[in-house]
Amino acid sequence: MPLTRNDVAAIADYARIALDDDELTAMCDYMNEAVDLLEPILEYELGAIEPTYHPIGGLSNVMSADEVDSDVRALSLDDALKNAGAREGRNFRVPSILGDDGGDR
Amino acid sequence: MAWLDELSAGDIAAGVAAGDFSAVEVTQASLSAIDARDGEIAALIESCPELALDYARRIDERKAQGQELGCLAGVPVSFKDNMQLIGTHTTCASRMLEGYESVYTATCVQRMLDAGAIPVAKANMDEFAFGSSTETSAFHPTRNPWDTERVPGGSSGGSAVSVAAGEVTLSLGSDTGGSIRQPASFCGVVGLKPSYGAVSRYGVVAFGSSLDQVGPLGRSVSDVVLAMQALTQAGRDRLDSTSQDCQSDFCGTLNQGVAGGRVGVMRELIEAEGLSDEVRDGLKRSIATFESAGAEIVDVELEHLTSAIAAYYVIGPAEAFSNLARFDGVRYGYQEPDCETLAEQTAKSRAHGFGIEAKRRQMLGAYLLASGVYDKYYYPAQKLRTLITDDYNKAYERCDVILLPVAPTCAWKLGEITNARQMYLSDMFTISNNIAGNCGISVPVGLGSASGMPLAAQLQGPAFGDATLLRYAHALESEVGALGVAPAFFGKGGEL
Repeated sequence: MPLTRNDVAAIADYARIALDDDELTAMCDYMNEAVDLLEPILEYELGAIEPTYHPIGGLSNVMSADEVDSDVRALSLDDALKNAGAREGRNFRVPSILGDDGGDR
Repeated sequence: MAWLDELSAGDIAAGVAAGDFSAVEVTQASLSAIDARDGEIAALIESCPELALDYARRIDERKAQGQELGCLAGVPVSFKDNMQLIGTHTTCASRMLEGYESVYTATCVQRMLDAGAIPVAKANMDEFAFGSSTETSAFHPTRNPWDTERVPGGSSGGSAVSVAAGEVTLSLGSDTGGSIRQPASFCGVVGLKPSYGAVSRYGVVAFGSSLDQVGPLGRSVSDVVLAMQALTQAGRDRLDSTSQDCQSDFCGTLNQGVAGGRVGVMRELIEAEGLSDEVRDGLKRSIATFESAGAEIVDVELEHLTSAIAAYYVIGPAEAFSNLARFDGVRYGYQEPDCETLAEQTAKSRAHGFGIEAKRRQMLGAYLLASGVYDKYYYPAQKLRTLITDDYNKAYERCDVILLPVAPTCAWKLGEITNARQMYLSDMFTISNNIAGNCGISVPVGLGSASGMPLAAQLQGPAFGDATLLRYAHALESEVGALGVAPAFFGKGGEL
């Protein structure tokens, strides 16, 4: 079943990309065409096959002590803030997170 | 008097070491070639003459002090603009990162610099590497130096063109589904996608983390080998947890020939309808070349090759969506002004900072990772990845390398392919290699008799079979001959 405009609008909301009406229409066409390209995946009987998530097996999360390690080129405060759209002192500056209605969106 | 166009990376490093010319002189030649040539081809997003001359002076000082010089001493290099280099911007050819100042240097870039390479420019690309023609760059398209009406391929189109047009001697690109090999093929240069993990990805803006690999583009296999030597000789990079130790004597084994070796081919693929006659002829010429060099041609089968594109367009967008979630307009990147809430600022910054293809891929990825859809596509795609990898493993029991097309055709005209699906299908011969984490290389095999455009053969090898792959590529190039700098640009500036 093809994706509808409402479906695509919900995906855009989830992906945090504000699409206008025209973009939504074009995106809807694109999404349906792209999903169609994926159909060959459904033709295989893959039940017993183990998935491969990564070309290098046996990887595990990298843990390290919670301390500054100069070898990993930790950014200075100025460098970390250098490309921010808005800053205030030592911090990134952002608009209200909760909004006036107290909701999370 | 010499022309930069005529010198290999090895010639330059040897010439600088011998005192035939200085690193500053080579750098000035590269900068003058950029001045004279880039207006027509727009390969670059940014050139950095002061930084380049600064690095060149340091090489000359080392030489004056009698210190040892690296294997790339004085060699002018461009870097795809998704690689961080302090003193330059890193834009990924996106409005999202326009003006972003690099705050550290990528390991791959640093290793080239440590070997004496001179950073002269950042190269254009498809926005965030989403594309196969360099037309999705937010700043400008790049043109093919063999015919400026045609695309250079992509996404590392600027890297390929800067080398093919003789602006630089080497470039680093990145390859997620063919983004080094396909532009190399379209522009008549050599492009290597090393095995996954062979080159550190630290400091390279991520697209598909399980697929991305950095690699060199050059005008000859031996130039690419020198770059690989520089990129890998310090061993694994602890700043990239997927980095592997891939040290090898790439130079030492290069000339050992292929006599007694085995090259795998898929006959039905070479005869496939979608392939242009020129590409087919190039492949047949390559087969004949390997046979005359003493290699045996064996038939192999990659049963799931045709489904790789579907698996790729699940795995790639899913990983891209995760990676590009970091662009929220707060810490870096375009920030929409006058927003009431953070959520509004995020959604509008992403809508107005990203171009259309970057939004498409993220939307597709968001959908594919959604509850319910994940089980239908994402999970099976990773199972398909197992089958594709197994196909390759079986094939490599029978041969050392596999010969394939890079793309079904030579470079097409700018604006000729506008349909996303058609563009995606142009990568069908390169993608499976990334899915399996194997190595692959594009080697020029002459010009098309009808189009006059560069043609190429792709050789693929097993994971960490890079040295063997390069040996076969060198054997092919030795017989067929490298194409050199595109004739229309040869000798424009670049005097040494």
